[in-house]
Amino acid sequence: MAITYDMVKSVSASLYEGCLKKIPEDTKEALRKAGEAETNEGAKKILTMMLRSAHAAETTNRHVCSDAGVPVYFVKIGTAARLDGNIKQAISDGFDHLVETINPPILKHVTNPLTNERGYKGKDMPIVSYDLIDGADYVEIVCQPKALGSGRWAALEIFSFPTLEVIEKYVMDCVLKAGSQHCPPVVIGVGIGGTFDLCAKIAKAATLRPFGQKNPEPTLADMEERLLKAVNKTGFGPMGTGGDTTALAVHVAYASGHGFTPVAVCFNCWINRRAGARIYNDGKVERFE
Amino acid sequence: MIETRRITLPVSEETIRSLNAGDFVELDGEIVLTAGLPTHQRIIEYVNAGKTLPIDITGGTLFHLGSYSRDVSGAFEVLYINPTTSTRFNAVMPTIIKKFGLRMVGGKGGLDRACADVMKEVGCVYLSFLGGGSPLLSDAVKEVKSVAWDDFVSHYRLVKLRVETLGPLVVGIDAKGNSTFDQLSDRARDRMPDILDGLDEDRAKHRGLP
Repeated sequence: MAITYDMVKSVSASLYEGCLKKIPEDTKEALRKAGEAETNEGAKKILTMMLRSAHAAETTNRHVCSDAGVPVYFVKIGTAARLDGNIKQAISDGFDHLVETINPPILKHVTNPLTNERGYKGKDMPIVSYDLIDGADYVEIVCQPKALGSGRWAALEIFSFPTLEVIEKYVMDCVLKAGSQHCPPVVIGVGIGGTFDLCAKIAKAATLRPFGQKNPEPTLADMEERLLKAVNKTGFGPMGTGGDTTALAVHVAYASGHGFTPVAVCFNCWINRRAGARIYNDGKVERFE
Repeated sequence: MIETRRITLPVSEETIRSLNAGDFVELDGEIVLTAGLPTHQRIIEYVNAGKTLPIDITGGTLFHLGSYSRDVSGAFEVLYINPTTSTRFNAVMPTIIKKFGLRMVGGKGGLDRACADVMKEVGCVYLSFLGGGSPLLSDAVKEVKSVAWDDFVSHYRLVKLRVETLGPLVVGIDAKGNSTFDQLSDRARDRMPDILDGLDEDRAKHRGLP
């Protein structure tokens, strides 16, 4: 057997739909825990409403948010995967299929940045990045539709041999600038090092990490802990009501580079859209959040 | 326990002026909404040309809510609504609030000081909707009154709906000039030196330094 065009198309469409209608289990759990720990009554109320909204979307087959975002897919191809057909086209066709079939329909968010015209299609859409996994007999697809609310607050700056103090101060500057505009409580992805492009990529990938998975790099595990504490001391709270819950997690990734060190900071809103699947050579599809 | 105040639209200036930033409210009545910057620009073009808007918003509401509307046999249905970021309309809102004497604006993320100043003058509040609250907010829609400017993509259209128990919504900016957005940003900025000191202390601890 092989991994076919039809399988990739179908999985690409269903992952997107899943992102719009169901928030990850670990995120719901984090919101619940945050609600229990909150000391601000308004914030507690908003966190409860978030869980109600998530539940209503999931049980009545509706979108949690009307901003369906733009299609973003991360694809990893196993070197032992057998591919049959145009896999790249299948992802693009999968999104088109979603647009044609999803109920309720989604709004037109794909924007031509030169004219601000909006539609379902556009240059370089969907946004797909590819990587390889040595030896794997599957193709892994992760979908993370990106909406304006949280998408517009991502930032990157390039430093020269920064200390950890400088890096963390920059993260806090970005947090201060975003305020409560990005629909908190957010997940914050931080990338340190690499090059301009790689840094943004690892920051984004860091937001995909499930909650509770400890950073294998002790320096970064410590940094995540103290940054989360620092972000929640700002007091913006859920949707800007004030309170103790501005972020649910801070995930930091690093890559070596030259002494010019980019630091990238990006945000996922409380819905924390992410859904993935591995399609194996034998046709088995394994889903994960 | 936080009380949620129920407000029927249209609402008086007196009621609006009695609201405080941080209050929770629920709305019943008719609301007007759009999520499009081109829509705001067209409203201003109409104002400048002395033309009447297809949906009157005088003394009413203009919320930054996107909606999915479609024409079904000559009548529009609205499948869902949800807030969008208001700050991108900062530049155009003072003119619109003033010209139409709006009583309520809203969306998510707030509006700037220039808007808050005009709101104080006119008697208008900003209501903060739950981002990602589409199923809850959409359940409040009871009737589509009208959909105008359908040459725009769906969420840019000007839409008038009748709602019941829309909310709870949070008064983000009241008609006294108080803005929770400004207050929270100011407070976070004030706290930042202590927060950065805390990061330094934790960093030293994590490194095992005394």
